[in-house]
Amino acid sequence: MLEKILSDDLYNILANKVNLNFVCEIRLRADKPIVLLIGSQRTFLGRDGTTSNLREAIRASKVMIEDIIFRASECSIYSVNEQIKRGFIVTQGGIRLGIGGDIIEENKNIKTMTNFSSVNIRLPHEIKNCSLSAFNYLVEENKVYNTLVLSPPGAGKTTFLRDFILQLSEKNYAYNVLVLDERGELDIGRSGCLGNFADKICYARKSVGFENGIRALSPDIIVTDELGQLEDVEAVNYAINCGVTVLASVHCDNIDSFIKKPNFEKITDNKLFERYVLLSKRNGPGTLEGIYNENFSRVRL
Amino acid sequence: MKFIILILIALICIFIGYIFSKKYKTRSNFFQALLYLCQKFDIEINYSRERLKNIFLNLDDKYKKDLKGIDGNYIAFIDKEVPLDKDSLFKNITFLKDSEKELIFSFFKTLGRSDVDSQSKEIKNFQSRFESIANNAQSENKKYGSLSIKLGIIAGLLIVVIFI
Repeated sequence: MLEKILSDDLYNILANKVNLNFVCEIRLRADKPIVLLIGSQRTFLGRDGTTSNLREAIRASKVMIEDIIFRASECSIYSVNEQIKRGFIVTQGGIRLGIGGDIIEENKNIKTMTNFSSVNIRLPHEIKNCSLSAFNYLVEENKVYNTLVLSPPGAGKTTFLRDFILQLSEKNYAYNVLVLDERGELDIGRSGCLGNFADKICYARKSVGFENGIRALSPDIIVTDELGQLEDVEAVNYAINCGVTVLASVHCDNIDSFIKKPNFEKITDNKLFERYVLLSKRNGPGTLEGIYNENFSRVRL
Repeated sequence: MKFIILILIALICIFIGYIFSKKYKTRSNFFQALLYLCQKFDIEINYSRERLKNIFLNLDDKYKKDLKGIDGNYIAFIDKEVPLDKDSLFKNITFLKDSEKELIFSFFKTLGRSDVDSQSKEIKNFQSRFESIANNAQSENKKYGSLSIKLGIIAGLLIVVIFI
């Protein structure tokens, strides 16, 4: 998919001079050097591959950025305007483009974004078995715990959740799993990447997705990414009260910062989640820092 | 032998008349198809947010034929096979004037570049400009289309009569 959104020139450099398997992010800012995030290291992209020399770095232009966004929308910006309004586009294959530019507001509502000046291309990676070390702490005697995955951005929350869904299927836990993919990142488009028992609702707000999904698809487990708003917490509460197990993720550095986060009091006070998985980038994305129970006591590590 | 040559010349004259007539008809049909394309875009973009490639792929066969390959040339651009320039967009299209090519090229350059409202307005704007060209092309076709064939036949017969 990357070859469809990047110019031939740029793609050829990345495909031939850089190992794309290790690239997590490609950042382009107008008139600034292109930056790659490889593992947890940042480096510039030069004509001969990665470089730490600023002078050798390829500079992105505004036209280049606009072209990437245009291509990522399959040459149809209008078709992804709802995503652009929220600051991103997700392509088929789960590549997520975070977008910077000028927001156009009308009657206090965001109408669109124009004048694109930066784009952050996040490449999804399927890391098989990355959730295995935590699996047995999250699934016991045919019960899957309500689990919240915590980590800073880019530390592997989505990859963890994706692999966990696959592991459930591979270990023959025939639960009906509903994947609420608000940003289209959980399903990376490869056939079977979510196992054999997963249904999907994509690009819907969580409040809508939870309610419709529970009514229409009777899931045993709902998996969703990045809780943030109060209405997301309400949706999780609604699902758990309906007897559905929820696996979700939240951006935060550690358990303490999660406890202090606004909007999440209901989660901690009502002990909605029974397991917390903390990931970091300490030894590369996906480093398992610990698994905690509903009282935030460690159950592993 | 003389008769065969004269018949050949007459046929060539009729053929030239037919070619001119066809050109007028092709132009008229092309602009009608372009108007249909604008309407289709407007509907699909407004109601289903369908992507451009799918809109092109799902055009009616009749209109597809009348677009003389411009749809396929644009799909080639979407598929990154060619850049979006006049040479690639108007490949094998010879019946358009330069000013018309310029206008159609601007239309294709704006496709897919903005949100629904702006895109819809752009399309309507181009549609009204295409309408006047389509009307001209239609009246030219009515006026000169059949006239060209008739002139070809008359010229052919005249040559035959003169040389007999």
